[in-house]
Amino acid sequence: MKAADNGRKLGRMILLVVLLIGVFILYLFIGRYPQLGFTSIRDLVNDTTTQRVFFSLRLPRALGAFLLGAVLGGAGAMLQTIFGNPLVDAGFLGVSQGSAFGAAIALVLGSSPSLAKNLGDRGLAVFVMSLSFFMALGALALSLFFAKKFKFGGQVLRLVLAGLAVSAFFSSLLAAVKYVADPLKTLPDIVFWTMGSLSAMTWQKLAGIAPLAAASILVMFVLRWRSSLLSLDDQVSRSLGLHPETERAIAAAFAALGVAAMTASCGIVAWVGLVVPQGARIIFGPDGRDALPASMLGGAVFVLLADGIAKNLFPGELPLGIVTALMGALLFIFVLTSRKTEMAR
Amino acid sequence: MKAVSLENVSFSRLGRGRILEDISFSIEAGEKVAILGANGAGKTTLLSLIAGHLKAESGKIELNGQPLRSLSPLERARSIALLPQIERLPFNYSVLDFVLMGRAPHIQALSQPSEQDYAMARSALAELHLEHLEQRSAAEISGGEFQLIRIARCLAQEADTLVLDEPTSLLDPANSQRVARELALLAKKNRTIIFSTHDLALVQSVSDLVLLLYNKKIMMFDNPSVVLEPKFLEKSYGIAFRMLQVPTAYLA
Repeated sequence: MKAADNGRKLGRMILLVVLLIGVFILYLFIGRYPQLGFTSIRDLVNDTTTQRVFFSLRLPRALGAFLLGAVLGGAGAMLQTIFGNPLVDAGFLGVSQGSAFGAAIALVLGSSPSLAKNLGDRGLAVFVMSLSFFMALGALALSLFFAKKFKFGGQVLRLVLAGLAVSAFFSSLLAAVKYVADPLKTLPDIVFWTMGSLSAMTWQKLAGIAPLAAASILVMFVLRWRSSLLSLDDQVSRSLGLHPETERAIAAAFAALGVAAMTASCGIVAWVGLVVPQGARIIFGPDGRDALPASMLGGAVFVLLADGIAKNLFPGELPLGIVTALMGALLFIFVLTSRKTEMAR
Repeated sequence: MKAVSLENVSFSRLGRGRILEDISFSIEAGEKVAILGANGAGKTTLLSLIAGHLKAESGKIELNGQPLRSLSPLERARSIALLPQIERLPFNYSVLDFVLMGRAPHIQALSQPSEQDYAMARSALAELHLEHLEQRSAAEISGGEFQLIRIARCLAQEADTLVLDEPTSLLDPANSQRVARELALLAKKNRTIIFSTHDLALVQSVSDLVLLLYNKKIMMFDNPSVVLEPKFLEKSYGIAFRMLQVPTAYLA
C-alpha cells in the first residue's frame, strides 16, 4: 500500500475514533435530568441523584448503544462482504424475525396470571430475552440448514433464499401471535419491542449480553481480511485454499450471534447494518480490513446519535428503531445518489 | 519431474452423463500445454479436475508426484493456481488489494497480509507490466487489464502450475492480443502452464504441447505443429479449417 494512502486511511480512522469518543461523551452528558440539556460537572460531583442517573442509567445505556451499533454495523459489513451483496443486512438469515417471534411468545406467555406471578418483572425480562435469543439462533440454524438442502443456485443464492423463507415464516408466526395477543396489555409491549429501544438497559442486562457481543465483534474483527477473500466467487476462493462454504457459515454465525444477543435485549433496530457499511466503504474502500472496523465504529456513532435523539427529543421516549429507520433511509438515499457510489462489475 | 499426471480418469455429471472418459496424460514441470476442443468437449471439466475442484469418478490424478486428493486445499493452492473463465467482481477493490488476495495460501486464516505479501503482489503486477494500475479501482480498468490482474493474482499465489480457463475469450481483439502477449512472455519462464482456448494463434505462441479433446476422450496429445493440422481440427470441431501463415503479433 502506498504510504500516502495508508496514512490517509489511518487519519480517517483516528478521526472516526475521536468522533466516537466525542459522541459518547455528549451522549452521557446530555439528558433530561435535572433539566433538558447538558449535565454540569458540578452537578455530577455534588448531586447524588445526578450521579445515580449518570452511572446507573446513562452509562450502561451508552455502553449498550455502543455495543449495539458496533455489532449491527460490523455484522452488516461482514454479511454484505461475504455474500458479495451490498444490500444484505443484519436481519438477513431470519435472525431479527426469529428473535421478534421469541420475544412476542415470551410476552404473551408472561402475561398469563400464573406465570406473571411466578416470574416477576425481572424474571419476565430474562424470559423475553432468553426466548428471543434462542429463537434468533434457531432461525439462523434453520436458514443454514435449508441453504444446504435447497437444490437451486450456488451457496450465496441458497442462503439468501433460505433467509428470505425463514424470515417470512417467522414474520407470519409473529403476526399470528400479535393477532391473539391481548390488545390492551400485551400487544403494545410486542409492538414497542419490535421497534427497538435501549430504555431498559441496565448493568445487569449489559453484563448478560456483553460477552456475546464482544465475542462476535472480536471474531469479526479477526476475520476482516478473510471476509474480502470470501467475497470472491467460490471457485476463486477455493483456488486460494479456502473452504468458502464452511468459512462463510462460520463468519455468518458469529455475526448473527452478536445480532441475536443485542436484538434479544434491545428489540429490532433496523437500517444500521444496511446503511453504515455503505458509508464505510465509500470513505475507507471496500477491503474488509478497513471497511469492517470502520463499520463497527460508524455503527456505534450512528446508534449513539439515534438514541440520543430518541431519548431527548420529546418528553416521552421515541422507540430507537423509528429514529434509526428515519436516519438510515435518509443516509441511504444520500449514499446511493453520491457520485462516489459505484457498483462493481 | 512430472508436474501433473492423470491416469485413466473419467468424470460424469448428474443429468449430463459421461463428460470425460479414460483420460491419461502427463505434463513435465515447466511445460506449456494448450487444451483444445469444441464447446462442451470437457475442457473446463478437465481443468477443474486438475485443480482439484472436482473429484474424478475413477482414475488417478497426481500433482508433483503426490496424489491430488491427499493434499489439503491449502497445500493444493500453493502448488496450483486456477483462473476460472468468468469472475464477478463483488466490490470495487483497488488493483493492489485484489492481487494481494493471491497471497491467501501463504497467510494463516486469522492473520493479515504482511509487507512481504505486499511486495509479492507488487512483483506479480510488475511481471505483467501493470505497476501503474496499483491504486486504480479494479472496476474501472479495461477488460484486458482486469484479465491481467486476475493472472497477476495467480502469480502472487506463487504456485508452480498455472491453470487458465480460456484466458483470452470474452475480450475484444486488442485486449485479447495484449493478454496473449503477456502470456507468451510468461511462457518463457519456468512455470508449468495449462490453458484451454479456442485461439489457435495463442496456442502457437505459448504452448509446447497441445491436447485435443474429442468425444469425451483425448484425440491427440503432441506438438502444436503436429496437432494443428486441418484434418484433426476438422474432426474435433466439425467444420472445415484452412491454415494461413501470418506473422503472429503475440510473439514478443
